[in-house]
Amino acid sequence: MKKVLLLGSSGLIAPNIIPALGRYYDLRLADLKPHPEGLPTQTVDITDYDQVLEAARGVEAIANFTVNRPHPVLSFAVSTTGAFHVMKAAVELGIKKVLHTGPELIIHDYGHEFDIGEVPQRPGSGYYSLTKMLGMEICRAYARTYGIQTVCYQFNGLGPKPEGPVRAQDFPPFTITWEDLVQACRLALDIEAVPDDYQAFNLHSYMGQGKYNIDKARQLLGYEPSEPVEEYYRRPT
Amino acid sequence: MKVLITGAASRLGQAVAAELASQHALRLMDEDPLAQTEEIEVVQGSLLEPETVWQAVRGVDAVVHTGEPPATIAAAGLAREQALLERATRGTHVLLSAAIEAGVGRVVYGSTLAVCAAYPDDVYISERWEPQPPVAMETLSRYLGELTCREMTREHHIGITALRLGEVVVEEEVGDAEPNLLWLDLRDAAQAFRCALGRDTGRAVPWGKRWEVYHIGAAIPNAKYLIDHARGLGYEPRHNFAGHWPAVAGGGA
Repeated sequence: MKKVLLLGSSGLIAPNIIPALGRYYDLRLADLKPHPEGLPTQTVDITDYDQVLEAARGVEAIANFTVNRPHPVLSFAVSTTGAFHVMKAAVELGIKKVLHTGPELIIHDYGHEFDIGEVPQRPGSGYYSLTKMLGMEICRAYARTYGIQTVCYQFNGLGPKPEGPVRAQDFPPFTITWEDLVQACRLALDIEAVPDDYQAFNLHSYMGQGKYNIDKARQLLGYEPSEPVEEYYRRPT
Repeated sequence: MKVLITGAASRLGQAVAAELASQHALRLMDEDPLAQTEEIEVVQGSLLEPETVWQAVRGVDAVVHTGEPPATIAAAGLAREQALLERATRGTHVLLSAAIEAGVGRVVYGSTLAVCAAYPDDVYISERWEPQPPVAMETLSRYLGELTCREMTREHHIGITALRLGEVVVEEEVGDAEPNLLWLDLRDAAQAFRCALGRDTGRAVPWGKRWEVYHIGAAIPNAKYLIDHARGLGYEPRHNFAGHWPAVAGGGA
């Protein structure tokens, strides 16, 4: 099994996909705080390079789910400098695969457009989106320079698929189910190479609105939502 | 105008101050000590300290953000990389946030032409080419600072001009060194900041024009880095390393 360091393993996302990913990878969990269900977790502060380096020794891939959204200092330290630490550690240890994550907010300036595919990032000046975009640019520079195959996912809402019909609600664009995120992580961790050593992808599960397309993820990774979850949002007629 | 110059203790900062002194009232800022004079206001402190930065930007009309790091940060290694990264990203964000809050209308940022150095030498590089920053933090951090400026301009009523400077040297000091396509004389770099301060970035200008990038180099024969766009600002380099470059027919910059 491929050994994968999962940074941010106790956050809002990773605990929901660790059980499924753990069937395919030897996961090394790392976070500042304990795992919510008590899984063994290495205490790692991504703002400390030495801690990142030590945590990454012996793995074949790093998946970075860390984020600090609102803080004027920590957002830069975690989302920008943290990305630098991950890529620098990958270089130092010869790790050739990185999965990076960022918010849909990175392209939120296109909020009034439709059929948005691969577009230049326009995060604006907010701490969350800007610092994540800067981190992605660091990943891109390192990936190109050292041939580190780096996949970056842009997503937003995450959660389980609905358990039954949803009434009087639309689904937010860019929402992805846990099942589909697991699929996407596997594709990213298993793919041998991506064009230019770095690619960012729109990622979501809910089709139908014609707002953000996932064509690139389909074409380059073979990603496909596992079921048409938009079918849960049907108005009775 | 009253102009704040950051990184003012650096060699570039001092050259910019000398260039602007006859036309503008100056306020100088740096983490490193600055000489106190009666004519020029001085703020010593870090771009990472919002209170200090607020004092520095209050009451000025424009900011020249040279991007020059203080001499006091680590000279090499990881600590230097981290210091450069933090100042170029968070430091620039702190500075621009304060400038916007203070109603400053225009900013000129010192970036680097090295973001385009990865391209082969047999192409002409204008501002239309996608930057390919290396991982060297001296260059990568400048590029990230540039992106921070761009995004601040997108969302706020401020005009920012990014100057991608060549490798700043002094013509009389290069001696018999191998000529470098990136060479830019320190005095011409300072001239470019002066020219950029005159660019119209007022509130009536749409954001796509309030944010602009210019390549700043010497006028050498058969130049790789084209400076025609900057000439539109009135920039005309005067120190062009003539003794280092053979004339090429039809190959002016």
